[in-house]
Amino acid sequence: MKTDSPTLSNRRQFLGTLAGSFSGLALTDMLARDGVLSGVLHAPPRAKRVIQLFMAGAASHVDTFDHKPLLKQKDGDPWDPGETVELFQSTPGACFNSPWAFKPYGKSGKMLSEVVAPLGEVVDDIAFVHNVVGKTGVHSQGTLLQSTGFTFPGFPSAGSWVSYALGSESENLPSFVVLPDHRGLASNGSKNWANAFLPARHQGTVIRPGSVTPIADLVAPASRFINPQNDRAGLDALSQLNSLHALSHPGDDRLSARVRSYELAAAMQLSATDALDLSREPDYIKTLYGLAPEGPGVDDTTINEKAESEFFGRKCLVARRLLERGVRFVQIWSGNDNGFPRRNWDSHEDINRDHGPLALGMARGTSGLIKDLKQRGMLDDTIILWTTEFGRMPCSQGSKGRDHNPFVFTNWLCGGGIKGGTYGESDEWGFRPQDRAHSSSVYDIHATVLHQLGINHERLSVRNNGIDRRLTDVHGHVLRDMIA
Amino acid sequence: MFKLQRLFLLCVATFGSAMPGSLEAAPDFEKDVAPILEAKCLFCHDADTKKGKFDLSSRDAAFSHGSIGDLIGIVSGPEPQMPKKEVPLTEAQVKILADWIAAGAPWPADRTLVYNPQRDLDWWSLRPIKEGMIDESTLSGRNPVDYFIEQKLAEKGLKPVGEAEPAVLIRRLSYDLTGLPPTPDEVAAFEAESIQNRGAGAAQSAIQNLTDRLLASPAFGEKFAQHWLDLARYAETHGYDKDKPRNNAWPYRDYVISSFNEDKSYARFVQEQVAGDILFPGDPEGVVALGFLAAGPWDFIGHWEVGEGKLDGRIAKHLDRDEMISATFNAFQSSTVHCAQCHHHKFDPIRMEDYYRLHAVFAAVDRADRVYAGLPPDRERERLELTSRINSLKNEKSKLEGDLKKLVAEKASGVDRRIEELKTQHGADELKPQYGFHSQITKKNDEEKWVQLDLGQSAPVAEIRLRPAYDDFAGIGGGFGFPLRYRVEISNEAEFKSGMVIVHDATDRDQANPRTAPITIPTEGRAFRFVRLTATKLAERKDDYILALAEIEVIAAAEAEAVNLAKAATVTSKDSIESGDRWRKTNLVDGIYHRELSDDKALAELHALQGERRAIEESLRSPKSVARLEAIGKELAPLEEQLKTFPQGELVYAAATRFTQGGSFRPTDGKPRAIHVLHRGDLTAPGEAVSPGVPPLWSGISEEFPELAGETWDEGTARAALAAYLVRDDNPLVWRSIANRLWQWTFGAPLVGTPNDFGRGGMEPTHPELLDYLAATLRNDPDKSLKSIVRLLVTSEAYRRSVAHDEANAAIDGGNTTLWRANRRRLSAEEFRDSVLTVSGKLDRKVGGKPFQDFVIEKPEHSPHYQYHLHDPNDPAAHRRTIYRFVVRSQPQPMLTTLDCADPSMSVPERDESTTALQALTQWNNRFVEAMAIHFADRLRREAPDTAEEKVDLACRLAIGRLPTPEERPVLVGHLKVHGEESFARVVMNLNAFVYVE
Repeated sequence: MKTDSPTLSNRRQFLGTLAGSFSGLALTDMLARDGVLSGVLHAPPRAKRVIQLFMAGAASHVDTFDHKPLLKQKDGDPWDPGETVELFQSTPGACFNSPWAFKPYGKSGKMLSEVVAPLGEVVDDIAFVHNVVGKTGVHSQGTLLQSTGFTFPGFPSAGSWVSYALGSESENLPSFVVLPDHRGLASNGSKNWANAFLPARHQGTVIRPGSVTPIADLVAPASRFINPQNDRAGLDALSQLNSLHALSHPGDDRLSARVRSYELAAAMQLSATDALDLSREPDYIKTLYGLAPEGPGVDDTTINEKAESEFFGRKCLVARRLLERGVRFVQIWSGNDNGFPRRNWDSHEDINRDHGPLALGMARGTSGLIKDLKQRGMLDDTIILWTTEFGRMPCSQGSKGRDHNPFVFTNWLCGGGIKGGTYGESDEWGFRPQDRAHSSSVYDIHATVLHQLGINHERLSVRNNGIDRRLTDVHGHVLRDMIA
Repeated sequence: MFKLQRLFLLCVATFGSAMPGSLEAAPDFEKDVAPILEAKCLFCHDADTKKGKFDLSSRDAAFSHGSIGDLIGIVSGPEPQMPKKEVPLTEAQVKILADWIAAGAPWPADRTLVYNPQRDLDWWSLRPIKEGMIDESTLSGRNPVDYFIEQKLAEKGLKPVGEAEPAVLIRRLSYDLTGLPPTPDEVAAFEAESIQNRGAGAAQSAIQNLTDRLLASPAFGEKFAQHWLDLARYAETHGYDKDKPRNNAWPYRDYVISSFNEDKSYARFVQEQVAGDILFPGDPEGVVALGFLAAGPWDFIGHWEVGEGKLDGRIAKHLDRDEMISATFNAFQSSTVHCAQCHHHKFDPIRMEDYYRLHAVFAAVDRADRVYAGLPPDRERERLELTSRINSLKNEKSKLEGDLKKLVAEKASGVDRRIEELKTQHGADELKPQYGFHSQITKKNDEEKWVQLDLGQSAPVAEIRLRPAYDDFAGIGGGFGFPLRYRVEISNEAEFKSGMVIVHDATDRDQANPRTAPITIPTEGRAFRFVRLTATKLAERKDDYILALAEIEVIAAAEAEAVNLAKAATVTSKDSIESGDRWRKTNLVDGIYHRELSDDKALAELHALQGERRAIEESLRSPKSVARLEAIGKELAPLEEQLKTFPQGELVYAAATRFTQGGSFRPTDGKPRAIHVLHRGDLTAPGEAVSPGVPPLWSGISEEFPELAGETWDEGTARAALAAYLVRDDNPLVWRSIANRLWQWTFGAPLVGTPNDFGRGGMEPTHPELLDYLAATLRNDPDKSLKSIVRLLVTSEAYRRSVAHDEANAAIDGGNTTLWRANRRRLSAEEFRDSVLTVSGKLDRKVGGKPFQDFVIEKPEHSPHYQYHLHDPNDPAAHRRTIYRFVVRSQPQPMLTTLDCADPSMSVPERDESTTALQALTQWNNRFVEAMAIHFADRLRREAPDTAEEKVDLACRLAIGRLPTPEERPVLVGHLKVHGEESFARVVMNLNAFVYVE
């Protein structure tokens, strides 16, 4: 990684020395940081790592990235797409123009809504896919489809697959990290980052930046007896005892691997704590990501712009720091599960109320992230994938909301050898793909991401209960047009 | 030679003309060639898939770009390129193709090919179970297991290591059979017995006694049930979105535990879990066992909120059946029928029709709470019939209402939008405390209620205005309590017995709710003193009925400005609730009513729009449906009262055809849903309809249940037929499947490395004869006793070997597939937690019943958040064995998950055993371990009060089943002395010697 900051290299050396004393031990692959494709990639990689931005609850494409002038013209008229439409909750209402104005940005003149305006400054780096088609209008299934490639639970998350294939660049941090919404988990909970039938080390590790215990069990709990002295001494004693045990029971790597796992745990304590410490980030960087002056204590009793910017921006900044330290895949969530009052993008009742602050917060943090990665030279080998479980309808639900639209929605990619532009359009309503015979799917998006990482999506498979399973199931085509 | 053929074929491809054939009779395309291509090539190279842009589906396609030229080269040779990841063609098959090509590759122009595998039953797991491989008389008392194991060892030139020390053996056996560590006393007793009986194979008797004791312990069922629950993907929440709890799932968990403890016949165990309600009527276990079918995830949104009326709901239902089928065949048959959802199984003789026949078997069942005890069968039947009648009336009602609502929403969408806009643009007046008049509450909607005004004297009146009330109670808002049917009369006589005139009659049909728009009734200048409103059908409040109204205004005739004569009127009524400021009779004439918008102009527009909406709604109502709705209401009320008289009974979450409906989730009442073969698994592309049947996985089985053919069938009979198929003596899979699992659960690694897949995609047994011996022994045992097999396995010499390393053996068989030593294994997640509780002296051995929760539920009303970090690890209710915990799907227990606990989203035949830094962090820093370290320390101080050495000895005997070695002792004693018992206890619970079983 050519962009390593000097501090990081120093830390590497330091931890390298620490690890050096154990280098004589035979380790099982359980602890190795290599993935199954390390050194044997299917093709030269263009990217090394991924950030997946997931908008839980289904973000509306027609209010953000997919401009539909016809909706303004026909606003309030009965909506007639020329076919019967079966919606999740409602029957189709009238045509519903976005509450926000659109404006051209960048050299390309790409039209963006004012709630994602901060992304205007980087819009020429973004590859929009406006013709993604889903399989379901049900949140849980749609969310699983975008996170695992299947509509039912039991399959590894994209991050788990990437971790399984490529391993980690650092043994001091998990290779797949999840930064959930500060309000709670999205539909399906931790199934969206489950390793399923892949080894457990490929499951997403949850980190909650800004909370009291950002990583479960990273440090000793509040205790009436644990103190730094006996904590250290205990680990030393344990290391001696377990090493003795391993020596007297030869022929089983697992025993020494377990000794080593405690050393790695200690290194992870340092490394993770350091990654989460934003105190030495300069103010202009914090501003770039949209962090609030009062930090994570910002008032969040109802969805508001300031809090969304703070929480999402903080996750983006932490993501950058994790990537710098060798994490392979970071999944960032905006939005909790479905509850009332709304705490996610599922704006059945009021697009303006929820999408406004959520989109602005997301756009600020994401724009900051893209610019920051770019100025550090990291955007060249980092892919950012923006996704959501499905889109929302061009017609109204009630009068101010929109129902689910799995028939077409938007994903976008950025960085990692991806060329900006628009690849695939939706129809004039934003209801279905413009060319129904040539739509895109999550499989194509995942195939493209894997391709950039040097992986042939058809060749990364694991047999489980009788079937060779892939992230892309039996589908997927690399979107070659968008490859720079 | 291949080159020549390639040339030949290229010619064919290029010119498409027949070449002179060989002298031998050329193979027949239809009879010889097509079956090979259809079975071996068309999976990838059909007209749809065209893998590598190569299409073999027709002559034109196959020869269009000449790529068929390489066919023989590709499919022959020692490592043929094709078929990919599949059994290669036999030499005979290659020859047929070569001869066919040599003959000019004749292919009738109109013959197209599709993927069509042969039912090939020639595979180890599908052949009959072998018997008679061993002459029992020559064993002379030796364990037959050792006969097979040693045969293999000898074959490979391996010399097994010696027997494990008694202390090691009892620890191993205790964990394997009960999941708990032995107590120090048990270890001492077993060591003594082993030494006493040493020689003359008498150690055997010590192990026999120990095995008998452990098999008889209730902990045996608890341990083995965990294995089964992993396979059964058991959890106590639905999973998916909202992840609601299943509070009645646990009886199934107890059923599994007690089945193992009672050593229930395996045949009966299998049958009960598929069709216990049909095969064993009256036996509560037959119903509880159906918890198996229901144990997996369930899509609440797809079933409850969307429903089968919509495609997404039908997809959810399809996936739900697929889940049941996969689990059933994974668990009982170790086969992967679910692979045949989109195409015929690629490896195994399972066709798409076979798979969809299984859908037909489960076509009438859903997952729901059902009664298994506490309600006599005839009363239950009565209740189910009643429930079913109520359900069907409610369905009809909601359909009629839903249809109308949909129509109105379509027609009124412009109006609705403007209403919302007005409400957004103009704020409402503050809701004043004086709401209006409110009658007493009644349970019947056809009770007549009236309210009337006395103006004091007769006067000419231009119009009467009714202003509806506003109350957000039950989310109603505008039009609260406004009657569905009513009339307004005027009179000069207070009793309305004579001389009254009906000025407004709205009694013939239900009226659409006016919201807050006033109803204006012209009276054409008539003079009167009294006005009365009589409601003939009351508005619903919340499962009850009322009459409410904000205001009645009586506008005098012939005045320049509107004068409200009602302002000074006296109000009387049939009854009135008279509740505080809010509801009083006098509020009806106080001039106070809720203004939804403060702007007058906007309010007028709003009322006009509300009127417009009311007109739309009324125009869309058909008298027929109104009459029907009324009839339904009349019929429902007494039925619902009657239902309340039944006791609830004991409930289990299980497969069910009758249950209380909710949302869009409705029972079938046993009527199977139509099942079609789905092209590529797509519900929008249904093929032929199918009736119940089973995959003919061994010879002598027919794929259809002849008695169930036709358009519909008895669903219970279908499940019973599936159960009968599963436990047939000639079923080679079911007995091998469980024999392999029993081996895995005792020896730590299975004989067949893919315990849920005995097909061609899976692995072959390391000891096929041993597996068949065990399978046949179980099948031939009239009691089908699992404990007998377990006893046979753990009393073998193979089981008792030590884990000692041996370089020479390891060089030949490093993976120990031949069992030259025993397998060391890590404690499972549950065993770790149970052991920590045991050594700390905190384990509560209460058996069965409702699960404990080691989390706190937040936001239970919508999407429960299961917050483990808020739970107090010292909560004694949670100090039970881990199998009794409440298993959450979406947010699994973090510590157990890190320790490789099974994921209940799928059938898990084998746990992972990973070693990660996160595990180290969990075992070292978890709050549970910290809390138990304190109890462990207390125990050491209590039971070994004197010296540090004594405490160390006790801790080691409790936790690792032995005393510390001379090298270990100083480290342990040193830490205890300097840092105290708690810190020492924390170290002990992280020892390799604690977390590994040898």
